[in-house]
Amino acid sequence: MSTNSMSDPRRPNKVLRYKPPPSESNPALDDPTPDYMNLLGMIFSMCGLMLKLKWCAWVAVYCSFISFANSRSSEDTKQMMSSFITHNP
Amino acid sequence: MEKPKAESWKRTPQTLKPRGAARGAMKTLPAFCVVLLVLWSVSEAKFDDFEDEEDIVEYDDNDFAEFEDVTEDPAPESPQRVVTTEDDEDEATVELEGQSENQEGDFEDADAPEGDTENEPYDDEEFEGYEDKPDTTSSKNKDPITIVDVPAHLQNSWESYYLEILMVTGLLAYIMNYIIGKNKNSRLAQAWFNTHRELLESNFTLVGDDGTNKEATSTGKLNQENEHIYNLWCSGRVCCEGMLIQLRFLKRQDLLNVLARMMRPVSDQVQIKVTMNDEDMDTYVFAVGTRKALVRLQKEMQDLSEFCSDKPKSGAKYGLPDSLAILSEMGEVTEGMMDAKMVHFLTHYADKIESVHFSDQFSGPKIMQEEGQPLKLPETKRTLLFTFNVPGLGNTYPKDMEALLPLMNMVIYSIDKARKFRLNREGKQKADKNRARVEENFLKLTHVQRQEAAQSRREEKKRAEKERIMNEEDPEKQRRLEEAALRREQKKLEKKQMKMKQIKVKAM
Repeated sequence: MSTNSMSDPRRPNKVLRYKPPPSESNPALDDPTPDYMNLLGMIFSMCGLMLKLKWCAWVAVYCSFISFANSRSSEDTKQMMSSFITHNP
Repeated sequence: MEKPKAESWKRTPQTLKPRGAARGAMKTLPAFCVVLLVLWSVSEAKFDDFEDEEDIVEYDDNDFAEFEDVTEDPAPESPQRVVTTEDDEDEATVELEGQSENQEGDFEDADAPEGDTENEPYDDEEFEGYEDKPDTTSSKNKDPITIVDVPAHLQNSWESYYLEILMVTGLLAYIMNYIIGKNKNSRLAQAWFNTHRELLESNFTLVGDDGTNKEATSTGKLNQENEHIYNLWCSGRVCCEGMLIQLRFLKRQDLLNVLARMMRPVSDQVQIKVTMNDEDMDTYVFAVGTRKALVRLQKEMQDLSEFCSDKPKSGAKYGLPDSLAILSEMGEVTEGMMDAKMVHFLTHYADKIESVHFSDQFSGPKIMQEEGQPLKLPETKRTLLFTFNVPGLGNTYPKDMEALLPLMNMVIYSIDKARKFRLNREGKQKADKNRARVEENFLKLTHVQRQEAAQSRREEKKRAEKERIMNEEDPEKQRRLEEAALRREQKKLEKKQMKMKQIKVKAM
């Protein structure tokens, strides 16, 4: 019936599964914030530890927090927690 | 001493070792005792420093605590003691004994007069040795006692931790903002989905899929990629393969971002990407949107930069507001796309539309490669892309999501329209020419590289062949293979010569 195609555009036989976009270089281009913050956090924590500068250590803590908040995909919570703990002296 | 030494030399070297060890032990023992004594004398010296103050009665282990009034005599002697103990333990002990004897002698002297005149309360003779005392006390009074402030880091008050308190407060503020921002984004996403659920479910069989389930069943909920990005995949409709909706919210969970947005307000965005079936869309490239967005897209997107070389044109001719501009491959496409309903949609919701992009040559943004051009043309897909701005410019509320529902209607309408719209013969010819032109340009650019690649492949083949020939153990077979290779090469050369001759003839 002609009304059928008008009323119901759904086609169950034409269902395609969702394919997550291939991990290209785009994720890195989109937003480098978490990576930069991660790196900064590591650098500052090393500085704070070696040079015994308290403010360095605090900045490192902040950097790791910011990196966590901006993390791109739903990474493992365990990985985030472990990286967070190791980077904070 | 010499005899035993000589004997020891005569004996085997093995026996020398224990002797040497014993001698070493003998040497270390006095050194150890010396170290201990130095430590003890240093501690004594410390106590002597304190003897001037009044709260030294506590130091019971100081033998001379009781006699703190007699400050003059022990004080100069203590540095002597420290110096002498470094020499040898015997000498030190002798010195100490001597000192203690001296001290006792003083006290004996002091005691003696006391014992004689017990009846009288005070004897003048008693104070013979103590005449210095009033003088010393007066001299002490002349030197004012300075009370030194205990430095801040030794105090135990709140002031010494002001940096820590400040930092922890900042961190707490950040965590609070993270939780609040995350919740807000989540609420906004849910509100959007609740508003659009009905429309989507009436149009698509599969609403919501994260690709992990074995069967293709609708999850019926958004796929959270991030704290600020939510995905939704819909599929199972006539004429399109599927539709991916991405809710790109602002990073409300990051305090830095929140502060940055106070300087420069940005909107939440909804990005919709519809993948069309090959037979359901004709070949054209077309875009409509804000001028700024189109300029950016033209620079970034591969297909727009290649097929739509003109600058974005104003859409006033078709009744569009000034804020919107058009990028099109050819005029016929614009004419076909801008029908009444589309114009109605665009005019009414112009403030929410960022860009609308239809293309059969869509391959994503331009890929910047270091080596130059990629060897192959990127894969293209027929897609319709929509980018909408959520009203509110950042200060959005869940009820604002209802304003986006008409835009989803526009999307559905566009899908059907794209299927219906077909270029006429002229348009098709033009479109085909354009595509051929683009491909040719691309091939020209990569010609050199492709030649190099082909050359290297040929060399690889030759090398493989030679290796095979070498590896053949049978000399007969080797000879035969070599002959075959030679023949093949001769044939190739002949072919090349023929081609050259033909070209020459054509040129003539």
